[in-house]
Amino acid sequence: MTERGKLAAWLLALVSVSWLTSPLWLAGGLLMVLALCGRDAVRLLRRALLATAAFSGTVSLAYVGYFWWQSRALPLDWLLTVNLRVLSMALLTFLFIERVNLFQALAFSRRLSFLLVLAVSQSLGLKRTLAEFRLGLQSRSPRPAGLRARYRAAAHAAAWLLDRALANAHESAQAMQSRGMFR
Amino acid sequence: MHIPDGFIAPHMYLPLYGLAAGLWAYGAKRVARELDESTLPWLASLTAASFALSFVALPLPGGTSAHVTGIGLLAASFGIWNAFMAASLVFAIQALLFGDGGVTTLPLNALAMGFAGAVAARGLFLALRHLHTGVALFLAGWIGLFLPAALIALALGAQPLIAHDAAGAPLYFPFGWSVTLPALLIPHALLGLGEGALTLLGVRLIERLRLRYRHD
Repeated sequence: MTERGKLAAWLLALVSVSWLTSPLWLAGGLLMVLALCGRDAVRLLRRALLATAAFSGTVSLAYVGYFWWQSRALPLDWLLTVNLRVLSMALLTFLFIERVNLFQALAFSRRLSFLLVLAVSQSLGLKRTLAEFRLGLQSRSPRPAGLRARYRAAAHAAAWLLDRALANAHESAQAMQSRGMFR
Repeated sequence: MHIPDGFIAPHMYLPLYGLAAGLWAYGAKRVARELDESTLPWLASLTAASFALSFVALPLPGGTSAHVTGIGLLAASFGIWNAFMAASLVFAIQALLFGDGGVTTLPLNALAMGFAGAVAARGLFLALRHLHTGVALFLAGWIGLFLPAALIALALGAQPLIAHDAAGAPLYFPFGWSVTLPALLIPHALLGLGEGALTLLGVRLIERLRLRYRHD
């Protein structure tokens, strides 16, 4: 199957799972996605759980508390339906990220590919440097940094980020111009 | 915190995709009209900056932190359509390359944060800048965060109404407006102050940097 075909199949699967409201069907769907993951099933399941735990966990706990307070019972049907759906859809997405080259899937448009490659490469570079700034602040502070130091660090990081983004735009424009990219 | 897939009913996200697709097509047309060797890198860098800004933690008293969106900053500096397209691309990159946030929640985020947030921020900035530029920028940043939070609270709170079983039990996000509105609006009214400060300082910095690169 081509990368574009895989992209279409993944989108179709995602929409189909989002319509399911029966825990039995959703459990079957989750097992199918796990089977598709093959040897990567445990690793991808762990990633999917970590990515969704904060939101799903907060909402589930709050709803369990609210439901118990209202009716002295647990909303088991809702808990199973929503959490199985969320997990299946996240697992499908991580499987897609693992197996499909998004740049090839979107290669039907030359300008979209350029934009995506430029944006993603710059995003990853900026993200890595921001993580280094954070580690730098930690290593300079023997005790946890105070509010003032964290504000100053955040302001410097944001200022550096905007400066770097404008410099990147300027440099990329010059590089494209010199190579006659749009001629 | 990003909303993962599975909490928004297809009854809502499919029509929202239709609406967002129309705006994306129009936005792409407008941006493409100017898309050349100088504007394409601009849009890519704006997207990268917007993506990376979401990793800049705004410290809060008590040791916690919040993250800025930069919508007010983008809209005030580069206009509504550039801000909308850059923000949409950020949400798509986060969902498709990092699995952060959902694909079914993408149109809601793009419309609420990228479009409504940018329109409100730009509109407020243009309306108030003749009175006081600093105040206009601060309020543009604040509204660019607060209005999207209100729209997302309305969308989440509508889930039990639009998707429930025969007994009336919710099938997607379970809480109504009485919970979602205060839960999102109260913290975002305060977080908007940080976003307002970022917009004010960021726009001033961008103006200075633009001058420097123009002279290079």
